[in-house]
Amino acid sequence: MHRVTALLASLALFVLAAGGVAQAAEPPKADPAKAEAPKGLFLLTDYPSQTVRVGEVTTVRVKLTNSGLPPEPVALALSGVPAGWKIDILGSGQPVAAAMPGVNQDVSLQLRVDVPKDAKPGSEKVVLSAKGPQSQVELPLTFTVGSETPAKLSLKSRLPSLRGTPRSSFEYTVSVSNDSGKDLTVALSAQGPANFQTTFTEGYGSNEISSIPIEAGQSKDIKVKVTPPRDVKAGDYPVLVRVAAEGATAELRVTLQISGQGKLALSTKDGRLSGEATVGKTSDYTLVVSNDGTAPIDEVEMSGSVPSGWKVEFNPKTIQSVAPNEKKDVQVQVTPSDKAIAGDYVATFRANGRGESSSADFRITVTTSTIWGIVGIGIIAVALLVLLGAVARFGRR
Amino acid sequence: MPPSAAVRVGSPFTGLGPVFMKELSDHLSSIRMLVLTLFVIVFGAFPVASSLQQLRTVVGADAYLFLRIFTIAPEQIALPFVQALNFVIPLMAIGLGFDSVNSEFNRRTLSRVLSQPIYRDALLLGKFLGGLVTLAVALVALWLIVFGAGLLLLGLPPRGVEVARALGFLVVAIAYGGVWLAVSMLFSVVFRSTATSALCALGLWLFFFILWPMIADAITLGFVPNEIRSVDQLLSLQELSLALQRLSPGTLFTEAVIGLLNPETRTLGPMLPSQMRGAIVGAPLPLDESLLMIWPQVTGLIASMIVLFAAAYVIFQRQEVRA
Repeated sequence: MHRVTALLASLALFVLAAGGVAQAAEPPKADPAKAEAPKGLFLLTDYPSQTVRVGEVTTVRVKLTNSGLPPEPVALALSGVPAGWKIDILGSGQPVAAAMPGVNQDVSLQLRVDVPKDAKPGSEKVVLSAKGPQSQVELPLTFTVGSETPAKLSLKSRLPSLRGTPRSSFEYTVSVSNDSGKDLTVALSAQGPANFQTTFTEGYGSNEISSIPIEAGQSKDIKVKVTPPRDVKAGDYPVLVRVAAEGATAELRVTLQISGQGKLALSTKDGRLSGEATVGKTSDYTLVVSNDGTAPIDEVEMSGSVPSGWKVEFNPKTIQSVAPNEKKDVQVQVTPSDKAIAGDYVATFRANGRGESSSADFRITVTTSTIWGIVGIGIIAVALLVLLGAVARFGRR
Repeated sequence: MPPSAAVRVGSPFTGLGPVFMKELSDHLSSIRMLVLTLFVIVFGAFPVASSLQQLRTVVGADAYLFLRIFTIAPEQIALPFVQALNFVIPLMAIGLGFDSVNSEFNRRTLSRVLSQPIYRDALLLGKFLGGLVTLAVALVALWLIVFGAGLLLLGLPPRGVEVARALGFLVVAIAYGGVWLAVSMLFSVVFRSTATSALCALGLWLFFFILWPMIADAITLGFVPNEIRSVDQLLSLQELSLALQRLSPGTLFTEAVIGLLNPETRTLGPMLPSQMRGAIVGAPLPLDESLLMIWPQVTGLIASMIVLFAAAYVIFQRQEVRA
């Protein structure tokens, strides 16, 4: 039903527009070959026949053009205003009664049409007249009450499908057109799979926006940035971009083609990145190589940097493949140098595989052997034995 | 048991208790103890007070703030507490021990004591223990003053590790005092004149404090080759110098105290740059590692104390006391 009225209204508009040509003292001749423009006073408007809404204010832009005549004050008047309607002639926002365009110059005017709430449907004819001492011109305007084109929006995207890894950000440039006859503030929203984040920015701006004003008949470019969650599996994900304003909506489906990517992580079983080692003796630690990404990683090579004179060995040295969400144990054997001094040292272990790498700093507390402590106790024992021997030999005198 | 002229029966410790108690009460009630207390206050509390003044102005997270009271060098007086103790403990020990035996002899009370059912063993050991406990009382009092002042002025309690390290420091300090007490008792046994014994003990103290570092350096210089070709040569020279220095009990005491009170100390000897690579600078050693590191020094102090006492004992046992 709504659509039928809209169709009828546009048909009526078309018919009326054909009749409503701006009247001039001399009919304008659009001939580019002629050097001289047509002389006279003209009243111009883009849409002489318009739809107005009951109880609302519509502004009609009108231009008063003086072509080749000496400037003179021109009185402006309206006739045929229906009862209850209020139409003001505005110039620069103020009510005006006369205008004075210079030679070959325009004066912009607005008609502020205030339609009463009880206005009856149908067409009303209003004539705007401009009357100077020399010339006179009239502009008939037709206002159709009640039926008008509803807000209409459309969405377009040049690149509706993008490809990337879970870590890349997907930016779609979408142009939103306001196809209706009035300015609209368009609300933006997007619907994607769970945990997908979408943000809107305007053109090249960096501010996030949730709505954007678009003038009648204009279109604006907005950027939709979709950030998938890091742990998303490879596959195609649709995101529905939706714009809405005053009952009109438009939808556009963009697609994210996410390919998998591996992500290496190096840790230990209990997450503790410290251990103890004795000087000159081999200590074993178990490292865990895991793949937090979405694609398998092949040929992961283990390496490590330890203080000079130390030895480090991995078993296995190379891991064939680590599947996503898989954990593999690697034994690492660290032997502190014979000359190492007790204390804390840093050893760095690394896992490298096909562009992915991860490293972990391992704190090793080196302890020394207790053999010298026992020797010390032995020395004290010998001293005590000497004393005991002296007591036995010379004692109790 | 080797054959001997005298038949030795009974425990050598008979009478140890009365001798020890009498010696202790004599020491504690003497003017000498008053002088010792004065020593403690002047040489101990003064550096601590000024280092506390400095610590209070320092704002910083230090896991071992309490131990810094002992080790920090105050700006006003360039004498850290530990250095002061290194200086004053031998003086206290010599003061307590230089006349322990020969004064009894000169007062002719020795034969009177020995006519009681008391062995010479018990007499000497009792005198030594009495002196050591007196020294320990003074040192514990000083230690408690430092801790109390630290609690009051820093306003934070020490951690368990800090208390353990400070207690270790106390033990080392008492052992160090014991060495010098044994030295002075040895001289008091050897020389009949108290003045000679005091002079010899103080002379040895001065020798180790002033002369010995220079002599050790001179000896090391004698071993320096025409040109030093490798790091190992330099290292061996340094180690020789250190080994000579360590013949002085003062060096042993200082090293042991550094190892205990500076937990960041990793080694007491020279350290190569290659050994430093990869090491986390400033990471404190665990307490057991620190103890292991200073254990040779502590061993040296305790063993030399026992050996010196044994020497004094042997000489005393062989002396004629009836005069």
